[in-house]
Amino acid sequence: MTRTLWRDHDWHLIHVDPQPPALHMALDEVLTHEVGTGRRPPTLRIWEWGGSAVVIGRFQSLRNEVDAEAARRHGIEVVRRVSGGGAMFIEPGNTITYSIYAPLSLIKGMSFQEAYAWMDAWTLEALGELGIKAWYQPLNDITSEGGKIAGAAQAHRGGAVLHHVTMAYDIDAAKMLDVLRIGREKLSDKGTQSAAKRVDPLRSQTGLPRDAIIDHMIATFRRLHGLAEDTLRPAELEQAQALALGKFSDGAWTGEVA
Amino acid sequence: MHGEYKMPGGKLVVVDLAISDGCLAQVQVSGDFFLEPDDALHAIDAALEGQDAGADEHMLATAIRVQLAPGVMMYGVSPEAIAVAVRRAIDQGAAA
Repeated sequence: MTRTLWRDHDWHLIHVDPQPPALHMALDEVLTHEVGTGRRPPTLRIWEWGGSAVVIGRFQSLRNEVDAEAARRHGIEVVRRVSGGGAMFIEPGNTITYSIYAPLSLIKGMSFQEAYAWMDAWTLEALGELGIKAWYQPLNDITSEGGKIAGAAQAHRGGAVLHHVTMAYDIDAAKMLDVLRIGREKLSDKGTQSAAKRVDPLRSQTGLPRDAIIDHMIATFRRLHGLAEDTLRPAELEQAQALALGKFSDGAWTGEVA
Repeated sequence: MHGEYKMPGGKLVVVDLAISDGCLAQVQVSGDFFLEPDDALHAIDAALEGQDAGADEHMLATAIRVQLAPGVMMYGVSPEAIAVAVRRAIDQGAAA
């Protein structure tokens, strides 16, 4: 396998109506697999959230990370994703999330650190065009002078890499801290006292509506890498719906690390 | 018993465990780190299960390392960082 460049691939865009959190988890698994087998071209998927969620990382402890009672009280679904990294607190209008499904050749020979920055170079460019000077903060954060903007995670499956990113457009910090358990040890080398202060959302930094930021990001990706309109194929959606109802709604998966 | 360690420049490692007859039991390693392939987490838990509760960090890290299949990739975590979190769980649990 030799290294490929962005322009070596025929990128497709999926950006469809809001979907429930468990279906998003399932779509990441299915679409990564489809790109890995070559049935689907490399794809950028922009998520629209159908409901509030806490998304915990593949290796996080459910009980250590989430206050289950608070999540229930706020009507927040708790799901586990297929990639590592930290918990994300999602409210539909407050979050911009995307996934890139690419052949592993795109990051061949790169360190983890290089691969993260490489997959999000277009995002940093898009943010720069919106007046936000953003950069990659290893290992997996996108940050600006105002604070953290986004977190990324990658997973390798078969011949493909899944790279997904959640960006904070706005944030209800009080609710987030009610639901997520963020310990002092986690913040110990971040140089800040509070988890809420660590995140500085895009809304305050751009003054733009969420949709305008997404439109701009899509245009930047298209300009840099090329991007054709696409949608979910019936078989992909069917497979993802089965996984969403099974694995990703099942306590055995969500509580796999208890 | 519960221990946490934020690896400098890396991610948070969390360990929950019990001690039974002087040995580690019900070991669960967790955190916001990255592992490929993902089932390597089970191998890490299994490597720690039954270790002597008096084992030092070096011994614990070695126990993890020898259990890991070739090709396992760790990002933001290491056998040494996990060992620190294990020792913290044991020592803080003993002090509590």
